[in-house]
Amino acid sequence: MRRTLFVLLLLAPGLGLVLAFVSLVLYVAVSQSFGLYNLGGDSVFSLAHWQAMLGERRYWRALQYSAYIAVTASLLAVALAYPVALLLRKPFRGSLTLSALIKAPLLVPGLVAAFLFVNVISYHGIVNQLMLSLGLWDAPVRLQNDKNGYGVILLQVWKQLPFAFLLLSAAVQALPDAVLLAARDLGAGPLDRFRKVVLPLTAGAMQAALVLIFIGAAGDFSFQAVAGPPSVDSLATLMTSVQSTQGDWNGAAVVAVTLMALSLFGSAALAILVRGATRLARG
Amino acid sequence: MSAKILQRLLVAVLVAVMLVWLIVPFAMAILWSMVDPSTAWTYPDLLPPKLSFERWWIMWQTTSLPTAILNSYSLAPIAALLTALLAAPTAFAFGRLDFPGKGLAQILILVPLVMPGFVVAIFFASILLQMGFFARYPAILFGHVILYLPYAVRILSVSFGQVRTDVVNAARDLGASPWQVFRVAYLPVLRPGIFAAFLVVFILSLEEFALAFVVGSPDFTTIPTILYSYLGYNFIRPNAAVVALILVVPNVLLMLGLERLLQSANPASVSGKG
Repeated sequence: MRRTLFVLLLLAPGLGLVLAFVSLVLYVAVSQSFGLYNLGGDSVFSLAHWQAMLGERRYWRALQYSAYIAVTASLLAVALAYPVALLLRKPFRGSLTLSALIKAPLLVPGLVAAFLFVNVISYHGIVNQLMLSLGLWDAPVRLQNDKNGYGVILLQVWKQLPFAFLLLSAAVQALPDAVLLAARDLGAGPLDRFRKVVLPLTAGAMQAALVLIFIGAAGDFSFQAVAGPPSVDSLATLMTSVQSTQGDWNGAAVVAVTLMALSLFGSAALAILVRGATRLARG
Repeated sequence: MSAKILQRLLVAVLVAVMLVWLIVPFAMAILWSMVDPSTAWTYPDLLPPKLSFERWWIMWQTTSLPTAILNSYSLAPIAALLTALLAAPTAFAFGRLDFPGKGLAQILILVPLVMPGFVVAIFFASILLQMGFFARYPAILFGHVILYLPYAVRILSVSFGQVRTDVVNAARDLGASPWQVFRVAYLPVLRPGIFAAFLVVFILSLEEFALAFVVGSPDFTTIPTILYSYLGYNFIRPNAAVVALILVVPNVLLMLGLERLLQSANPASVSGKG
């Protein structure tokens, strides 16, 4: 009994504080989406805020857009990180430099990355100049804030690739050599070895990478605000503009709950789907 | 043989891509930050016609940049110190004790890592409004401490786990007081972990944007929020370049220091015993 109390006392300032804060934030967000804990006016339970937000086109577009960015960015980052992690499984000359280069974006804050990127692709930026001087383009092309969000996806991949790389390379390096050599002895080519040996044995790390990147990309504000298509909002930019320009906390709460639901269920669904696909690929 | 050549080629291509990926963007930012305000850098000049640090000087004197730097660089060490202190008891429990529900507790501490930053920021602001708490500096400080507790707890748990029980017992047998036990058996093993936790929180607090932006609006500035102000509606490229470099350069140096620390956070090298 005294021991339990001792452990609880130890956990209180760290874990306790974190849990109290997170549950309070969640509680207020969910309550405000149903009209409770209002900052102005009466606090009555109502579904009106959900009805109003669900009736808005920009809400659905934001949900669709955030889901699209999150799925594309997480799949791309994992797909790119796999071959690099496999290549760097065994050390070779220059492998340390290479892995340091891959991890470098971890050192760059998101806003700085977004600025560097729009700077490079701006109308008279270096990419346009290069394409003009090579004669590939006749006139500068407007690359910034493209309407498909390719710029945002590129930034997400740039920023998230190191995470996927770190998780996957830990898993890939833990693969026993004996297993890979045995597969080779039994006549499996590189593709078969990847499909039937590497993929199933590293699926856990891959799922973790997918989930983390999905959640990070779904909640993105900075990349969308700086490099995203001007005609669409991401859920985070929509939530912020609903709250700050319209002063509508309840509407913002609806978007917040939506974003958390997308993070939770979207990332889980993606991880399960990809797991299923790797099972199929194993044959 | 051909496989080896293929691999070399692949590596060469990768290195080239990574260089373009990193060096070109940074070179452009440095050039833009050094464009002399008297002569604009316009198309089709390949390089700025005149380079100077004039822009840096003007920004220092006429914008709220010094305040932002002061805010960021005072928030970061205080947040780091508080976080490390608050994380230590939980880390001790995770690293040295066994109790029912420990596995669950170790997962729950990570919850802030998967919460969307802007959701936390906006509803933290809402709670503050309801409480009538309008002091933004302590509010942001508190937010940073909570958000980065998971990192400090994780790092310090590992350190606490590396403390050797036989050394602790030996110290006790020899009649050491609790403080002496801590100094002799714990502190030498914990030290790199404490520094690493401090540095991680310091870096994360420096670059934190969502909370500082939402809770600090409209006029509390940190380095990231001032950078954002130059990237939004009034996009001023040279100013943004200056602030971006002010944000990223110390960050890179600190991270390299952190890498060193994490490599040295090895019990054998600290306690002198394998």
